[in-house]
Amino acid sequence: MLLKCDEVIPERKKHIVRKGEKGCGKRKPCEIACNVPTTPGDMTERGCTYAGCRGVVGGPVKDVVQLTHGPTGCAFYSWGYRPHLADTDFHREYIFVTDLQESDIIFGGEKKLLQSIIEAAEEFPEAKGVFVYNTCAPALIGDDGRDVAKQAMERIGKPVVFFPCEGFRGVSQSQGHHVGNLTIFKELVGTAEPEEPFVYGINLVGEYNIKGDLKHILPLFKELGVEVITTFTGNASIEDLKVMHKAKLNVVHCARSATYIAEMMQEEYGIPYIHVTLWGLENTAKALRKTAEFFGLEREAERIIAREMEYVTPRIEQYRRVLEGKQAFIYQGAPRAWHWVQLMRELGIEVTAVATTFGHSDDYERIFKQVKKGTLVVDNPNALELEEILEEFKPDLFISGNKEKYLAYKLGVPFVNGHTYDSGPYAGFRGMIKFARDIYRAVNSPVWGLIKDKAEPQEA
Amino acid sequence: MRQVLKQKRKVAINPMRSCAPIGAIMGTMGVHAGIAIVHGSQGCATYPRHQMARHFREPIEVATTSLTERTTVYGGRENLLAALKNVYLRCNPSMITVISTCLSETIGDDIPGIIQEFGEMHPEVQVPILSVKAPSYIGTHITGLDNFLTEVVKALPEEGEPNNRLNIIPGWVNPGDIRELKAMLRKMGVSPLFLTDYSDPLDGGVYLPKSRHPKGGTTVAELKDSANSLGTIAIQEHVGGKAAEIMEKRYGMDTKVLPMPIGVENTDLFLQAVQEMTGRQVPEELKDERARLLDAIVDAHMFLTGLKVAIFGDPDIVYGLVRFCAELGLEPRYALTSFDSDRWGNELLALAEEMNLDLEILVKSDLHELHKKMKAEPVDILMGTSKGKFISKQEGIPLVRVGFPVEDRFGYHRRAIVGYRGGTYLVDEIVNSYLENGKVSSRDLVSNTLLENERQNG
Repeated sequence: MLLKCDEVIPERKKHIVRKGEKGCGKRKPCEIACNVPTTPGDMTERGCTYAGCRGVVGGPVKDVVQLTHGPTGCAFYSWGYRPHLADTDFHREYIFVTDLQESDIIFGGEKKLLQSIIEAAEEFPEAKGVFVYNTCAPALIGDDGRDVAKQAMERIGKPVVFFPCEGFRGVSQSQGHHVGNLTIFKELVGTAEPEEPFVYGINLVGEYNIKGDLKHILPLFKELGVEVITTFTGNASIEDLKVMHKAKLNVVHCARSATYIAEMMQEEYGIPYIHVTLWGLENTAKALRKTAEFFGLEREAERIIAREMEYVTPRIEQYRRVLEGKQAFIYQGAPRAWHWVQLMRELGIEVTAVATTFGHSDDYERIFKQVKKGTLVVDNPNALELEEILEEFKPDLFISGNKEKYLAYKLGVPFVNGHTYDSGPYAGFRGMIKFARDIYRAVNSPVWGLIKDKAEPQEA
Repeated sequence: MRQVLKQKRKVAINPMRSCAPIGAIMGTMGVHAGIAIVHGSQGCATYPRHQMARHFREPIEVATTSLTERTTVYGGRENLLAALKNVYLRCNPSMITVISTCLSETIGDDIPGIIQEFGEMHPEVQVPILSVKAPSYIGTHITGLDNFLTEVVKALPEEGEPNNRLNIIPGWVNPGDIRELKAMLRKMGVSPLFLTDYSDPLDGGVYLPKSRHPKGGTTVAELKDSANSLGTIAIQEHVGGKAAEIMEKRYGMDTKVLPMPIGVENTDLFLQAVQEMTGRQVPEELKDERARLLDAIVDAHMFLTGLKVAIFGDPDIVYGLVRFCAELGLEPRYALTSFDSDRWGNELLALAEEMNLDLEILVKSDLHELHKKMKAEPVDILMGTSKGKFISKQEGIPLVRVGFPVEDRFGYHRRAIVGYRGGTYLVDEIVNSYLENGKVSSRDLVSNTLLENERQNG
C-alpha cells in the first residue's frame, strides 16, 4: 500500500504491505520488497556496512584493539554507545583510528595504517590482537589494508584481522554483519586447538550481551548441562573465537546478523545449528527444549523451565493485567521484530504494525507467519512514514531505537528502546520481568495524560 | 612546563572530535524548516543523527542520498538529483543543504554543478540549495559548521533597508547558551539575528498535534536580511570567524570576532562590543548579574584556589574556559583540543603568559595522551565532554561536563556557560563536582568550610 507521505515516491508501495491485503497470507504468501537500496533523499534509519561490522559484530570483542582505518568520524560515532557489555571495559572505553588527513587521501594511507597498528600494540601491550575496520575513503583510494594487516601481524606477533567493511558496500548495515562473520570465520575460527574436549559444547551465535543479557542466558545452559564455549560475540575474547569449531552445536540467536557463520561452520566442520529466540517465556522454553533435545537432556530442561515459569509468571501478571488489549508497533533491525510478536502476546499486547531496517525475505516470512490479519508490515521505513504510521495507527506502544525515540515522544506515543533496552537486560525468563516492567512504565506514565489534556495552560 | 605540544603518534586513541557533516547538519537545523541532505553512505547521516539524539534528546531528521557500490563507480549524480526532488516534494523545506562526505568528495562528484542542473530541471523550486564541503579527512565536526556558515553568508544575504538588528554567530554552543545570549541582548534592548539559531529546534517542546518542522530557527528571510544589520559578532574564532570576515568585506559591516563570553572578562568584552555596535547601554540588570558572578567567585575561592584542572574540547570553548578557570584561582594545567591549529596553540600560549599559568597546550591531540600526562602529573578536576568519563572514573577525579557531546547526563544542552549567569552556574558546578566526587577523600561542607573525611583514605 502507499502511504500519503509517499505519493511522489511510488516505489515505496512495494515495501508496505498489510497482511490480508489482496488475500495475502491466506491463499498466497505475502510479498514485500526488501534488502534493496534506499530511495535517495529518504530519512532512512539504516546505517552503513562499517556500522554493521564494527558496531555489531566486531565491536563486542573485548580484548583487541578496535582500529578504524579512515578519518576520525566513523571511529568517534562507534565509541561506547552500544552497551555490548563484557567483564572488562577496554572495548567500550577506547577507540583507535588512523585519522586519515587530506594528504593521506592523496598519497595513500597504507604506511599510516601499518604505523598505527604498531603504535597501538605498543601503547596497549595487554591487547590480544588488532581488528582493523576499513572505511569509504581508504577503499576508494585503493589502500591494500589486507596486505598491511599481514605485514603488521609479523611485526607485532599477534593476530591482525582486516575487515573490508567500507560504508558504501551493500544496501544497509546487514552487509557489514556478513563481512564480520566471513572475516572472523576465515581468519580466526579453527586457528587454535584447545586441549580439553568439550563433550556438551555449544556456541551461542549472534548474542551480543546487550546490557548484560548473558546473565539471564548463561545460567540456563549451565544448569542444563551444556557448556557455552564461545558467545559470538558478546563478552568474547579473541581466543574464544579461535576455538568455536570445537562446538557440537551452534545455537543461533540473532538470525540475521550471524546465521552466516553458523552455516559456514556447518559446511566446513559439519557442526549443525539451530535457530532460537531467547526473549519471552515460551520462546526461551522452546530454545532450551531444542538444545536439550540435541544432547538428550530433556528432563533437565523441563525441570528448569517449570521452575522459571513458576518464578516469572506471577511477577509479570501485575503488568499483564494493565497491558491487556494494548496494541504495539515494533520497529527493529530485523529479527527482534519477529522474535517479539509472541512475547507481546504473553503480556496481553497485540502487535499491529511491524517494521525492520534491514530485514531480508526470510525475516519477513517469519513476520507474516506470526502476525494477525490486518497488521501493517513495513520495510526500511523513513522518518516521514514513521510519523504517519504513529499518527494514523495510534499504537499504545512503539518499540524502536534511540533515533526514533524522540519522534515518538513528540507525538505523545509511549516508547521502549528495543535496541539497547531502557533498563534491561530483557533476555531469558527473568529478563522478561524487566521488559514487562519497562513497557508498563512507558504505557502507564502519567505524562501522556499531562501532554494530551493539559498541553496548554488552563484558562482561569 | 609552559609549552605547546603537537601529537607525534600516528594512531589517534580516543580523539575528541567527530566529522564535518554533523556540523553542517547542526547549522542547517538552526534554519527554520531547513533540511540537510548528506551526500554519501547512509552511515554518514545515521551516525550523526544518533550522536545528536544522544546529546539533545530531540528528533534529528536528516536525508541521505544512500550511495552504494554502484554509485561509487558511476558517480552520485542520479542519487543526488532524486534526493533533492524527494526532499523538496515531501518535506516542504525552506532551504536545503547538500553536505558532502569522504565518499562523494573522493569520487569527485561536482555537487554545485548537480544542484545547478536540478534548478534548471525544476525552475519551480525557489528555495535556496546550499552546497557544503564536509569530507571527514579535513578538520573536525566544527569545520562542518564553519563551512556551512561561510556558505550561508556567501549565498543568502541581500542588501536592503537597515533592520536595526545585530548579527550573532554563536558557533558550536548549546541551545542554553543561545538563550542566554538572547536574554542578555534583550536586556540591552537589542534585537539579535542569529546565524543560525538552533536553540529551539534542538531543545524543543511538546506541541500536539506536532507540526511538520520544529518550532523556531532563523528564517531564510532573516538570513537574507542579515546583510542589513548594525554589525556582526562571532563568539568563536574557529566556528563562524570566517563568515564574520565575509560579512565585513561584502557588506562593509562592523564586525568583531571575540573570545567566547565565558567568565567575567570575556563577557565584559562581549557586552562592550554590543554597546559599541548598537549604542545601547549595559543596564542595571546585567550589572547585577555581573556582581552576583563576582560574589559567587568570592564565596568559592577558598575551595578552588590552587586546584589543578585539565580542560579539553573544541578550541574556542577551551580558550574561554582556561581564562575563566584562571579568574577563579584554579590552575589550568593542561589544555587540549583535537583540532589542528598552530594558531590556537600560540593564542593559548599567549594567554598562559598573560595569566602566568603553568599550562601545557596539546594541539591535535587525544584523550589517551591527556590521560598519560595526568597519570604522570595528576590534576584535581577534569573539564570537558562526557567522553572524559573514563579518565574521571579511572583517576577518581570529578568531571565537570561542558561542550558536545554530553550523553551520559541530562539537560546539559539546556544549560548556559556563557554570560555572567552562565559563569555563576559554572562556579557552582565546579565546586559541587569537587565536593561530590573523589576517591582520595570524601569531602563535605561543615559550617561552610571543607571537611575532608580522612577515613576514606587508602
